[in-house]
Amino acid sequence: MSARRPHLATMIGAYAGIALLVAIVLYPVMLVCKKAFEPGRNFALSASPLPHSLTTAHFHELFTARGGHGELLFLRATLNSVLIAGATTVVGVVLSCTAAYALSQFRFPGRKLGLTAFLVVQMFPATMLLLPLYVILDKLALLNSVAGLVLVYSTTAIPFCVWTLKGYFDTLPRELAEAARMDGASPWLIFRRILLPLARPGIAITALFSFMTAWNEFIMASTFMTDESRYTLPVLIQQSVGQHTADYGLFAAGAVIASVPVMIAFYALQKYLVGGLTAGAVKG
Amino acid sequence: MIGRQLRDFAVVAVLALIIATAAFVAVRNNELAARQIALAERAAAALRDHAELPPTVNAVIVSAATPSPRHPFLRKRQVLVGDRWQPLQDKLLYDAAMRFDREGAVSELLGDASGRALVARCTVDTRPCPRIAVALTSPARPAPYPFLVIIGVLGLGTALAAAGALLGPVARRGGLFAGAGALAVPALLWHAPVAATVILLLGAGVALAQQAALTDRIAAAMIKSRVALSFLTPAATAMFVLVAAPFAIGILLGFHDHHHGTWTFVGLSNFSEILSGGGHSLDDPLNFWFILGVTVLWTVANIVLHVTIGVALALALSRKWLVGRGVFRMLLILPWAIPNYITALIWHGMFEGEYGAINSLLRLFGLSDVSWFSSWATAFSADVIANTWLGFPFMMVVALGALETISPSLYEAASVDGANAWQRFRHITLPHLRPALGPAVALGSIWTFNMFNIIYLVSRGKPGNATNILVTDAYRWAFERGERYGMAAAYATIIFLILLVWTVFGTRMVRREEA
Amino acid sequence: MNALRLALLLAIGACGDGREPGVVLWHAYTGLERTALEQSAEHWNHAHPATPLVLVAVPYESFADKLTSAIPRGNGPDLFIYPHDRIGDWADAGTIEPLEFWVDDAHADRFSEQALAGMAYRGSLYGLPLAVKSLALYVRTDLVKTPPTTTDELFALAPAMQAKRGFALAYANVDLYGHAAWLHGFGGRVMDDQGTLTIATPEAADAMKFARKLVADGVAPADAGTPLVASLFNEGKAATAMSGPWFVAEIGKDVPWQVVTLPIVSPTGKPAAPFLGVEGILMSARAHDKQTAFAVIDELTSDAAATIRARVARQVVANTHAYDDPQIASDPILRPFRAQLDHTVAMPNFPAMRMVWTPYQTALGEVLSGRADPGTQLLAVEREVNGYLVGAK
Repeated sequence: MSARRPHLATMIGAYAGIALLVAIVLYPVMLVCKKAFEPGRNFALSASPLPHSLTTAHFHELFTARGGHGELLFLRATLNSVLIAGATTVVGVVLSCTAAYALSQFRFPGRKLGLTAFLVVQMFPATMLLLPLYVILDKLALLNSVAGLVLVYSTTAIPFCVWTLKGYFDTLPRELAEAARMDGASPWLIFRRILLPLARPGIAITALFSFMTAWNEFIMASTFMTDESRYTLPVLIQQSVGQHTADYGLFAAGAVIASVPVMIAFYALQKYLVGGLTAGAVKG
Repeated sequence: MIGRQLRDFAVVAVLALIIATAAFVAVRNNELAARQIALAERAAAALRDHAELPPTVNAVIVSAATPSPRHPFLRKRQVLVGDRWQPLQDKLLYDAAMRFDREGAVSELLGDASGRALVARCTVDTRPCPRIAVALTSPARPAPYPFLVIIGVLGLGTALAAAGALLGPVARRGGLFAGAGALAVPALLWHAPVAATVILLLGAGVALAQQAALTDRIAAAMIKSRVALSFLTPAATAMFVLVAAPFAIGILLGFHDHHHGTWTFVGLSNFSEILSGGGHSLDDPLNFWFILGVTVLWTVANIVLHVTIGVALALALSRKWLVGRGVFRMLLILPWAIPNYITALIWHGMFEGEYGAINSLLRLFGLSDVSWFSSWATAFSADVIANTWLGFPFMMVVALGALETISPSLYEAASVDGANAWQRFRHITLPHLRPALGPAVALGSIWTFNMFNIIYLVSRGKPGNATNILVTDAYRWAFERGERYGMAAAYATIIFLILLVWTVFGTRMVRREEA
Repeated sequence: MNALRLALLLAIGACGDGREPGVVLWHAYTGLERTALEQSAEHWNHAHPATPLVLVAVPYESFADKLTSAIPRGNGPDLFIYPHDRIGDWADAGTIEPLEFWVDDAHADRFSEQALAGMAYRGSLYGLPLAVKSLALYVRTDLVKTPPTTTDELFALAPAMQAKRGFALAYANVDLYGHAAWLHGFGGRVMDDQGTLTIATPEAADAMKFARKLVADGVAPADAGTPLVASLFNEGKAATAMSGPWFVAEIGKDVPWQVVTLPIVSPTGKPAAPFLGVEGILMSARAHDKQTAFAVIDELTSDAAATIRARVARQVVANTHAYDDPQIASDPILRPFRAQLDHTVAMPNFPAMRMVWTPYQTALGEVLSGRADPGTQLLAVEREVNGYLVGAK
């Protein structure tokens, strides 16, 4: 952009537009936070985003709720979520990197088909896969197990991650890989030592998306886990919504806590987002 | 020569084994059922005719039910032991007698996977039946997997294939086919002619492929790209088992009807019921085409808004003179970071009722309340607003990334040449945005088309079913209209086909434009 | 497909039963109800250490779906607690086990007639009842001198409340469950005792017109859900609220309130009669040890367990012996709800009932906002549900 200062009208317009959108973005978020800190089970009737009185009772109830055997429910659900999301991130990154490497750096029969397949599988509505997935996991004896859920989440995240990573690998200069191959390096070495370090932004995005997919997901976790000790955080939060009533204070407190790790991960990695997503498409 | 023949035969053998095993499993279970039920029926007939009972069957005569005077659904039954009636102690027999009273004669395999068959018949002709013959066979396992037969056939087939390879090129193909024939024989023995035919066709197909040297070419290509394939395998396997297989099953389910746990093949009737509108008129929200229209409108409206807002924000945020760009960017991607089932619920609460936050804000500005979910236009707008809130950060980030690759010198050169802001945008900014936004729009439109959470949780389909999109209507078929999983699966298949056509068509159009 | 499923079943069965002894029970209780249930479970576990009772809390949203996927594959619980309205569905599908084999008269006599009848379907008994739930009238004693006994008195309350920008009555009106009180008060029914739909009747249309009048005259808010009803009641913007026993937990600490039975519908002179929901323990048809599972059902519906639930969770328990305890019999919450039981209509447990809710809700939405006429809407509902029934056969 030119270094000239633009018209005052343009500046005001830009600031006003951004301010408006920031307000719109923040308002619902503030409503949730307000409910989490305001006493009472239901949303207050006023539209103000500021709580009229503060209490930490909801958080206290959330953290100290104990199950039938005296175990802390929140702690256990959080640990489950951390474990599952962490494992999904690792598995998702590993599977996506290897597949994207193959699809980007090699030419082989069926490559185009593979690329199209990764795009096409995103088109099938996920809610419809629930019942067949249930049957398949059952046959593989992976129901009610961390491994089963991790695998399902990973395969949900893979198509998007492969697409992004492939685009990223495509932008990496081929001369490096060529030179290394001339020197006799094995493809695995090239992959590990040369390409992966250069593709850090792409990998960061893959990790972030895998983590988010696993951390935020509710329906599959609720259906596949039949043991209360294996419930993840979203399932626990959803329990505050009963048949006739809901404790929205508890729900809001849970929602706030559940959103914090994702937001931290997001903000830590957001600089990779800008640029990482568009890598393949914008090659100058 | 032999090696290549054996390689090709191995491919045929593996596939044939899978088919034969499937046929075997299907057949032996039917056989087990038929066998056990016949046994039970013989026992029941023997009871009626006072003949000798088969030894392994528990067959007794159960009395009619005597309901308690106070609670008509509490009934007691008795069983004939020798000559005397005694209270019935076996729940299975009791339940069988109850079913007989309700549904008539019973003859089936128990659903608890024990292999036991249950038959209930009346011994006399009067109704209600005073003496019900109930026969329950002992557990039985289906025939064990015939490993020896399979191994033997495999050996025979391999020998035939090898022999053919030794004798010459034509005999080679004949040997392969003969080997496949050997594998088909057990399927014939098991009374599964379909499976046998499929195996034979498989053998013929591979033999023909051999003739065209196709098998050699494929094998060579695979060996050449073995590195790439080995890197691809882990992800491909996971996708195959956990995505492709459920996907294929999902499509198959669309051809069946689900009723109370049983599936019946109904061919295309689910599809025709959906595509013909199910007997509803075009403006009825239960008509597929109406919902399709709503879905297309939903997708287009959302994508237009997301891209417009996203690009506008990206343009603003990439101005170097803007103070606090980093902070603003951080705040503006917040909707993306929060789990969307939570935000969907919040938006629903904000739009609902006269005390919802949106209506309170409207009143604050002196406007009147809107009953958001009572009319289609306002409910649809509520959904679009909520989804745009969720979706613009993605487009904004993509646009930001694309904008960063534009070097400032391009703009400077253009303004030196006398181009105004709009011309600079059209000829510099837009061409750089397009390659990045293209895939983003493609993906975004797929995600929006299938966006379940917002529609289901914000407007919940209200008013009536008018704001349902295809995915939510499919869900309702599965879970709110009597568990019609077959219909839901057919729906999902249609959604997939629509998206497939849209993507192929769209990509072709984009490619034509770029050329 | 059938043969393949049979194959799967046999394969799983052949692998043997790897479950430990004990009984697994799924429930969707929260708060005090959950505490009460856990106390009873403790009791059982002390007495039967070899066959422990394991409670699993499942979110209500996904409860029925999880059951329907899990049980046919043998993965579900042995027992579960659920309202009675899906019994017909599950019984027809062979998902739940008939229990009358183990139940005799003496045993059955301790439950109230209605509660037990709710657990029966097509001549068999599919569960034992734990508690009954219906609506009653919550009254703010600071806003209302004497609780209204007829709907005309409700209308009389309206002007004073409207002056405060409030309502005389708050209830979830765009929902058949809340509307049913008026429907039955006007003599209408959703279906008869044989399960035939009786939706489009003049009485049902009159009931809808009455509900519309409540909204049009400002007596009740236009579109309220339970959270809004609670907020209105707590903030003094509703003098009365029609809700169930669960509402107690929603009421704020400083609000003076009492519960009374629903008023008489003045146009017909009949009492408003809401749906009666029976919550019971049902047994999965694939339960591993049915004998022990029934023993658990027996324990949880026993007098002792019922007393715990009535005291701790203020449940309107179905076991009538619990009310021999004078403290429970005179409880200010339990007494009016028990009195209301005489004027309720059991929610039908036929499979067709499940398909009625959403279309009826749509119709109510249209009529209550004044946009449509009840007669045509009800006909549309009946047509829509019949359409689904035809397909589901």
